[in-house]
Amino acid sequence: MDMPIVRFPALMKFYVDNQIEFPCMGVTVAELLDNLVARYPALQPHLFEPGGNMRRHFNIFVNGEHIRELNGLDTPLKNDDKVILMVSAAGG
Amino acid sequence: MAPELSHEEILRYSRHLLIPEVGLEGQRKLKSSSALVIGTGGLGSPVALYLAAAGVGHIGLVDFDVVDKSNLQRQVIHGKSTIGKLKVESARNKLLDLNSDIQIDIYDEPFTSENAIRIAENYDVLIDGTDNFPTRYLTNDVCVFLGKPNVYGSIFRFDGQLSVFDARLGPCYRCLFPEPPPRGLVPSCAEGGVLGVLPGTIGTLQATEALKILLGIGDTMVGRLLLYNALDMSFDFVKLKKNPKCRVCGPHADIKELIDYEEFCGVPGHDHNDEGSAGKDRDITATELAERCRSGKLVLLDVREPHELQISALPNTLNIPLGQLAGRLTELDSAEDMVVFCKAGTRSTRALELLISAGFKKVKNLKGGINAWAREVDQELPIY
Repeated sequence: MDMPIVRFPALMKFYVDNQIEFPCMGVTVAELLDNLVARYPALQPHLFEPGGNMRRHFNIFVNGEHIRELNGLDTPLKNDDKVILMVSAAGG
Repeated sequence: MAPELSHEEILRYSRHLLIPEVGLEGQRKLKSSSALVIGTGGLGSPVALYLAAAGVGHIGLVDFDVVDKSNLQRQVIHGKSTIGKLKVESARNKLLDLNSDIQIDIYDEPFTSENAIRIAENYDVLIDGTDNFPTRYLTNDVCVFLGKPNVYGSIFRFDGQLSVFDARLGPCYRCLFPEPPPRGLVPSCAEGGVLGVLPGTIGTLQATEALKILLGIGDTMVGRLLLYNALDMSFDFVKLKKNPKCRVCGPHADIKELIDYEEFCGVPGHDHNDEGSAGKDRDITATELAERCRSGKLVLLDVREPHELQISALPNTLNIPLGQLAGRLTELDSAEDMVVFCKAGTRSTRALELLISAGFKKVKNLKGGINAWAREVDQELPIY
């Protein structure tokens, strides 16, 4: 089973048992997000708009590339791929 | 033509003059260059200090805030002696003490759509050290319209972000973040906290990028974003490209002039958390609450994080952190009178909105949070 590594920003890790980085199953980015939300339901409103689209202050990078430059949510994932979830922060 | 250096300046900058990438020519370039630092808080402190020390000839500082004791944990340009004074004046005094050969211009006003172009057009580079989304989008759009680089940094708890947005060469801030987060979804440092040294790390990196831009050396962070995590000391670099759908720098851009950024972001252009009001009809003051507690049954719902209860707490309360509230509504009885509170009233206002949308009608917000209670009712409680 493919187990990419997913990395969470400080703004989000509260919703995933305070973890920064952990493996999560998923053969695509979409499937990985589904699995994350299934495991941590409190993530749902933070990742997705009420209509189901991904929120637009959110960015996802796979091995350093924005998924917009890959295949979006259909971007395939393989073992040990590094998936970074990144959210805008205003603090200064 | 770049200005000459005096003998005193040659001595002051001798460690720069020894670096071939800087040298005499680079130092003269810095002397003739200018940088606008937007915000003189956590990020602005190290940025301004290092740019002044490096000999950037003209530095602008924008901030309308005054120095507060709670700033001193990280805003190292200010000090105990300047508490209560304007931050831009406090910062200017420190910078001139460090280097009186440079020009410091201060703008004791909020950075807004009305004054931003007038202020920014005088500078070579803008450094975004603000603490709120409206000013970040404004700074970005000003840089796109004026064709200037935007040295971006942001911080939260243990996380920092760094990039250089320059729409002439690569993506802008809006390419990465087309929209701000919905109100209430992303806490600020005033709500969530920040490690004091974190703005030092990110701010000095911003100063580094600004100096490279002004000197025209090295590879800047254009097209790259650094994600720094102090807890596991990780530095992740990711690639950024222009977003073809960007509304301000894309081929079909429809934003051609500055807009109302507070309206766009749905939040105020500052990070002050001392308002904490849900509106006159939905607020209860600390003094009123103290009276109300004596006259009958009332549920006090504390929506802060559990570790905050160790700082200050009220007796006989129910603690459900805001982030868990939506999933724990069944623990609450909508038939009971309820007052929601947090540190200063920001999170409790959001909790109130959530409760009202879930059908709760007998709920009020403690205006100003437990800090207001500490000021008005129980002076033995600390304010944080």
